[in-house]
Amino acid sequence: MLGSLRTSFTGYLTFRGGVGQVSFLLHRVTGLGILFFLTIHIVDTALVYFAPHLYEHALELYRSTPFMVGEIGLVFCVFFHGLNGLRIANHDLFTTAGRETAKFRQSIWATFVITIILWIPAASIMVYKLLHYNFGFFAGK
Amino acid sequence: MSIHRTVKIKQNYESVAWKWMRYSAIILIPLVWVHILIQDILVGPHHITLDYVEKRWSMIGWQVYDILLLSFAFAHGMNGLRQIIVDHIHSRRARIICGWLIFLAWVVITLIGGFAIIGAAHKNLVAFN
Repeated sequence: MLGSLRTSFTGYLTFRGGVGQVSFLLHRVTGLGILFFLTIHIVDTALVYFAPHLYEHALELYRSTPFMVGEIGLVFCVFFHGLNGLRIANHDLFTTAGRETAKFRQSIWATFVITIILWIPAASIMVYKLLHYNFGFFAGK
Repeated sequence: MSIHRTVKIKQNYESVAWKWMRYSAIILIPLVWVHILIQDILVGPHHITLDYVEKRWSMIGWQVYDILLLSFAFAHGMNGLRQIIVDHIHSRRARIICGWLIFLAWVVITLIGGFAIIGAAHKNLVAFN
């Protein structure tokens, strides 16, 4: 099992698949990241019903600086994974013509650009809140 | 000029899972993005409290929303994990064991989340009466 993991890893690093491979890898990594967070998030939110006093502790964690920075990364993952997923669903389910490699590559670049365009305002708001609540900027605290 | 050929392929578990990932993706875009926009970007963890969640779950609309979100997102994610494991674990025995572990985790965690959302409704009904 370790051997196959090593093969996969070095294969990803040395395979020159271009932008398509990058989007494939990012889709998997962001998907795993979101699933990891989602699993924790379902269980901690269930505390609201099962153990309300413990939920307050979970909230304190979510308000800490490392978690808020992670949350900004999470929003990037959700935007990229969602847009890239839509792109894949569109190609696989609805597009019957125009399956040229050049067009695929174009749509991948468009996905990156739209992700960044959506993420920048979202991240700005979240960075503002982080500085306001955790560091006392903008008349916070 | 291109030639198009249509091939009928018998449905099996993997082809259903393949379609599920794509159709659920389309449903998940509004569900997850609205959730992220409200809870992470606009409200933020500093304004989320026990009271906030309990108020939200006292509304049937948000309860249905959260149950849809839970069931679609977690099933999509766990099947994605299964697909990655199928790609990377080459021993048949290990794949089967991992598949069952993922299935078990999916059922247990979905039930935990579902019970909390529905349980909150029950609590509200009792408080109301």
